[in-house]
Amino acid sequence: MLEVNNLMVFFENALALNGLSLEVREGEIVGLIGSNSAGKTTLMNTVSGLIIDMKIKEMRKGGQRITVYGNIIYDGEDITETAPNQRVKKGIVLSRERHPIFPESSVMENFKIAGYLRSKTEVRETMDFVFTLFPPLVKLKNRKAGFLSGGEQQMLAIGRAMVVRPKLLLLDEPLLGLSPLMQKAVVDAIVNLNRESGITVLLSEQFARPVLPMVDRAYVVENGMLTLSGTGPELMNNPEIKAAYFGV
Amino acid sequence: MKKRKERIDRGIKVRSTDIFALSSWREMIYLALPRLLPIVGCLMLPIVLGVYWQKVLLSVAVFALLAISWDILAQTGMVSLGQALFFGVGAYCAGVLNHYWGVSPFITIPVAAIAGGLICTLFLLPVLRLRGIYFSMVTLIIPIMLVRIIEATKIFGGTEGLSGMTPLPSKWVEIYLIMGVLLTVLFCFRRMLDSDYGLVLKGISDNDRSVINAGINIYWFKVQSLFIAGSIGAFSGAFMTHVYMFVGMPVFVLDYSILPIAAAVVGGPGTLAGATLGAFLLVPMSEALRGFGGLRIVLYGVFLVVFIVALPEGIFHYIQRKYHQFERWVEVEK
Repeated sequence: MLEVNNLMVFFENALALNGLSLEVREGEIVGLIGSNSAGKTTLMNTVSGLIIDMKIKEMRKGGQRITVYGNIIYDGEDITETAPNQRVKKGIVLSRERHPIFPESSVMENFKIAGYLRSKTEVRETMDFVFTLFPPLVKLKNRKAGFLSGGEQQMLAIGRAMVVRPKLLLLDEPLLGLSPLMQKAVVDAIVNLNRESGITVLLSEQFARPVLPMVDRAYVVENGMLTLSGTGPELMNNPEIKAAYFGV
Repeated sequence: MKKRKERIDRGIKVRSTDIFALSSWREMIYLALPRLLPIVGCLMLPIVLGVYWQKVLLSVAVFALLAISWDILAQTGMVSLGQALFFGVGAYCAGVLNHYWGVSPFITIPVAAIAGGLICTLFLLPVLRLRGIYFSMVTLIIPIMLVRIIEATKIFGGTEGLSGMTPLPSKWVEIYLIMGVLLTVLFCFRRMLDSDYGLVLKGISDNDRSVINAGINIYWFKVQSLFIAGSIGAFSGAFMTHVYMFVGMPVFVLDYSILPIAAAVVGGPGTLAGATLGAFLLVPMSEALRGFGGLRIVLYGVFLVVFIVALPEGIFHYIQRKYHQFERWVEVEK
């Protein structure tokens, strides 16, 4: 479904991704494990196309020059140069790091903004599905998103990405700053949405422990390069992973 | 083989950032040139230029001061649309002192600068807690309000204004006074923005809550920044009062609010030097375009738009980057 070939991204002279290649097959949950500054967010931004927007903005104001090499193939089509909004129409939806919600709008309004591309009935259906995935959100429908707790904001963020009806859902650190209990709820929800609506998921995370049991396959990223890959159980039993990413 | 453009510091920049700067003339000139250029330029220009352009130079310097004052406020997170308030209050302070009590310009100008700064700070004290567009709106409205108050109550000469101010002794005193002040303000406040104090001000515009968390009362710092910016603006107003020998309602005109912003944006906000450079480009250009009559504003507007679209970082940032860094093509390994 998604194929990333030999991706290199430079932020001015700093190399963020160094020849990274990976593959996501239809219906899978793929994990991307890596520590800080490994290049997870850069990969997410590149796949979702946000980096094209960043590049133009930086170029205009004479800031950092961003260079991207390599290509991204989605459903057999090269989308390396496709604009981010076009990629959303093709079905690639990113939920960015750190609760990317509209803090001044209510929960319902947040969903409605996200569902701009879809018809009203579709949005209502998906919203019902999202509310079954995240029951706590039902009570908070009319509250301003900025006043939700961290976990609720993350649920809202994933829900918002859902309302766009993605084929490939990119989740950038969905468990960031959540308690173990909340993490479990979010993980369960991600597994649920993958099982029930068949959405392919690519998610990145720093800690391997909550993520590895749920994923079909996972890649380990270090300094912009892939160091390990394998199925969830394989990586679970890998001593290096245990030492580095289990956070014991 | 794939290539990409690399941007790195010039060798001379790296060498001249520490004590090795003293090792050769080339490094010393590299360091001194950007500082000497504006000083020599400002001091030489009045001698070189004719009478008409000397007058233009006065208003260039005034707009440069207003642009610096706007930039300092913008650095503190307060985007002002009312530089005319500072200008006008300073102008009226000097005018009233000179007209009613006959105080000499050498006393009225500094007094008006300080008092004008204080009065502007008092005016804006209630809206200090507002951020963004709300603060801008209030600063835009106050000068317009003051004009109407003067018109309605006929204080300070009403619509006719006050005339017959004492002029400054000679045109050379005039021009070197404003040039001296411009250079002092430019270099001192640039130094201030680089100091720890300036970092606090910049921090307020970046993330005010984090500044509060550092145990700093941001409102007190905002008041100080407002006073500094107000004083600079009030000084230029007081100075112009004595140059025109007149003060009246036109001192609150919108030009004094808009042109400084344009100058700061074209020159490059955040550096003060950019604001000055912008004023030195825009004001003479608007004078030079006078030959086009009605089309002048159109051409001026087109120039501004082209500039903002093509070079949004501002001229100063661009020149600075080219001065310190160079670019070359390098091969991407793999």
